[in-house]
Amino acid sequence: MCCSFSKTDPFFTLSPTVPAPSVRTRSDQLPIISFPTHSPSLNSLKSRVSSRSGCRFGSFSAKSVLEDTVSIADPCSFYELLGIPETGTLLDIKQAYKQLARKYHPDVSPPDRVEEYTQRFIQVQEAYETLSDPNRRALYDSDMARGIHLAFGARKRYQNQNDDEQMVEKGEWRSRSQAQVAELKRRSAYRDIDNNSWGARMRRRNAASS
Amino acid sequence: MAAEAAYTVASDSETTGEEKSSPSSAEVAIGIDIGTSQCSVAVWNGSEVELLRNTRNQKLLRSYVTFKDETPAGGVSNQLAHEYEMLSGAAIFNMKRLIGRVDTDPVVHSSKSLPFLVQTLDIGVRPFIAALVNNMWRSTTPEEVLAIFLIELRAMAEIRLKRPVRKVVLTIPVSFSRFQLTRIDRACAMAGLHVLRLMPEPTAVALLYAQQQKQQAEHENTGSESEKVALIFNMGAGYCDAAVTATAGGVSQIKSVAGSTLGGEDILQNIMHYLLPDMDNVFSSHGVEEIKKMGLLRVAAQDAVHRLSTQASVEINVDLGNDLKISKILSREEFEAVNHKVFEKCESLIKQCLHDAKVEIEDINDVILVGGCSYIPKIKNLVMTICKRGESYAGMNPLEAAVRGAALEGAVASGINDPFGNLDLLTIQATPLSIGIRADGNSFVPIIQRNTTMPSRREIIFTTVHDDQAEALIIVYEGDETIVEKNHLLGYFKIAGIPPAPKGIPEINVCMDIDASNVLRVFAGIMMPGKHHPPAPFMEVRMPTVDDGHGWCAEALHKAYGSSLDLVTVQKKVQQ
Repeated sequence: MCCSFSKTDPFFTLSPTVPAPSVRTRSDQLPIISFPTHSPSLNSLKSRVSSRSGCRFGSFSAKSVLEDTVSIADPCSFYELLGIPETGTLLDIKQAYKQLARKYHPDVSPPDRVEEYTQRFIQVQEAYETLSDPNRRALYDSDMARGIHLAFGARKRYQNQNDDEQMVEKGEWRSRSQAQVAELKRRSAYRDIDNNSWGARMRRRNAASS
Repeated sequence: MAAEAAYTVASDSETTGEEKSSPSSAEVAIGIDIGTSQCSVAVWNGSEVELLRNTRNQKLLRSYVTFKDETPAGGVSNQLAHEYEMLSGAAIFNMKRLIGRVDTDPVVHSSKSLPFLVQTLDIGVRPFIAALVNNMWRSTTPEEVLAIFLIELRAMAEIRLKRPVRKVVLTIPVSFSRFQLTRIDRACAMAGLHVLRLMPEPTAVALLYAQQQKQQAEHENTGSESEKVALIFNMGAGYCDAAVTATAGGVSQIKSVAGSTLGGEDILQNIMHYLLPDMDNVFSSHGVEEIKKMGLLRVAAQDAVHRLSTQASVEINVDLGNDLKISKILSREEFEAVNHKVFEKCESLIKQCLHDAKVEIEDINDVILVGGCSYIPKIKNLVMTICKRGESYAGMNPLEAAVRGAALEGAVASGINDPFGNLDLLTIQATPLSIGIRADGNSFVPIIQRNTTMPSRREIIFTTVHDDQAEALIIVYEGDETIVEKNHLLGYFKIAGIPPAPKGIPEINVCMDIDASNVLRVFAGIMMPGKHHPPAPFMEVRMPTVDDGHGWCAEALHKAYGSSLDLVTVQKKVQQ
């Protein structure tokens, strides 16, 4: 099923005991940086000091969760992520977002699944931010029609609102189409990569644009 | 020391190990609103939020600590014989304005006119603060004063609730830096309190609003509740903040927050300067006589400001001694003219908040005005004018909204369930300030932009500025100023071991992660094109790392290294 959680995060399967960033080399000879989302050593440290340090807005969970750390192996569209049809209205989007926030937000998720749900919440947030903005949604829809919507890694440009505003202001149609071509190239080159860590994304992006 | 017998202020390294013995998870965390001038405590009592009262039946408690003889006494238990007693030099107040600030901070400088000692050396270290005890200046710190006060609050709550109190949710101003949050946390640790959440004040108000809207929707039985957008403007004695929240079904989604160190204290000082233009000179020596005069003027000005909320003009008569008599009629127009800059700043803060939230004025369902300054007609007027509205939201007590929200959050965060669903609430917070590093010369390059929903993780790639540059400094700041030094320094570290390469080739990846607990971690790693292994281990640094001398640090780093360890962004090049 789309959006299913994978229990085989590439980073942790490669180095299950070392809570440190790792670099892998794939057959295409491109190195991939992967910083751990949650370092167990840090978590245990947090649990020791939690009574007196760490200013927080969110709830605290000190679980060391190697197995629980997940990645989205099977990329799906923002619509599928929010569980709404592509014809969904702004109201549908808002309602779906609030509903999913109630489930995945670290303040309300089950204590043993906080790390996993936090990642999921960040994705839901990204989907919501893109689809609730008419301009960004239009851009996303047109990309999706061209078949380049997949992989969270390719979505950086929806994320940075300032970039988007600039682009709309300047009306840079050309740079947009170039970006789309670049996106396609990137995708065809790395479609087998299911690692969505920030480092992996940045490597891919940079390698393709240089 | 005798003071220790009365007040056990534990050093924060001694509280470890207590966590296991803390009461069961069913303990409801109390909500505390530490205001610059007044404090309050509230708790979920099983069916609703209740404000706790001290032995004198007060629920709004003056925030101050008096150092008299050997025993400090705070505004919770202490009975002031007269207002002037608080202004005799022995009492320290406004600690919320001072905590976590360095002596180059303009807010610290404006605190020099307070009737106790605030001394600055203007080198970016902690200011010297002292209370007058038996005609001697006895030094203290804002953290210590706050801790003493919190101990009193805790004792009061324990008496009222007849149980030990350990867990708290505190409200904080939006404009507080992460460094200031660590100071608040330390003061709580010293008072034996465990902070569950530090909640920006307007977001606490937003949570209360979310609950009220949810209850109303259920009461009216309208089925699925439609989304309601509210602008919250909160202005107290020390700070003012704004927030835009979108609420539905008990979920309060913070669209934007904005805050500033602007409050009733600034209004008061403007009036004091207006009444006595030579004030700073008159009071500069901080002698016993001067402090007394300062206190008299302060009381008179404060009284005038309060009365001007309901009267068109007030008469001020105050005898400061030595032929220094002030006799004046102050009209509301004069009051507004004297403070026009304060009001202008309020306006721009609200406009910025609305702009960041990307909501139109027409989309706003409710305008919520809270905090002591919301009683000032001009403040009401300017907020309502911006929002093109006649009336503000009526469902809240302006002085109790924040603490009630904090108490709700305390119950929610403690995992308390309410059979009627009154605690099925959630706040989705946003970062109040951008977080980034110094790069591209002396610029601030934000990595996590302000008003980013938390938890969050963002990254930017940087590169070297010199050929064969082997090291790079990552200096982390928080704020929204383009000039990097104007932001709050959070910490710094060095990445070493960059292999020899022409400038622009090595890639320095800097990633910032704010987790569910609002803990900020900064990652940095080097990658060389064509190489499969990083030349050096990656770095992971929990911020803030700075200590009290942080104003000094940035300058020292600059002196020692100049631009030799600088970085520039890579992304910008790619985009152009």
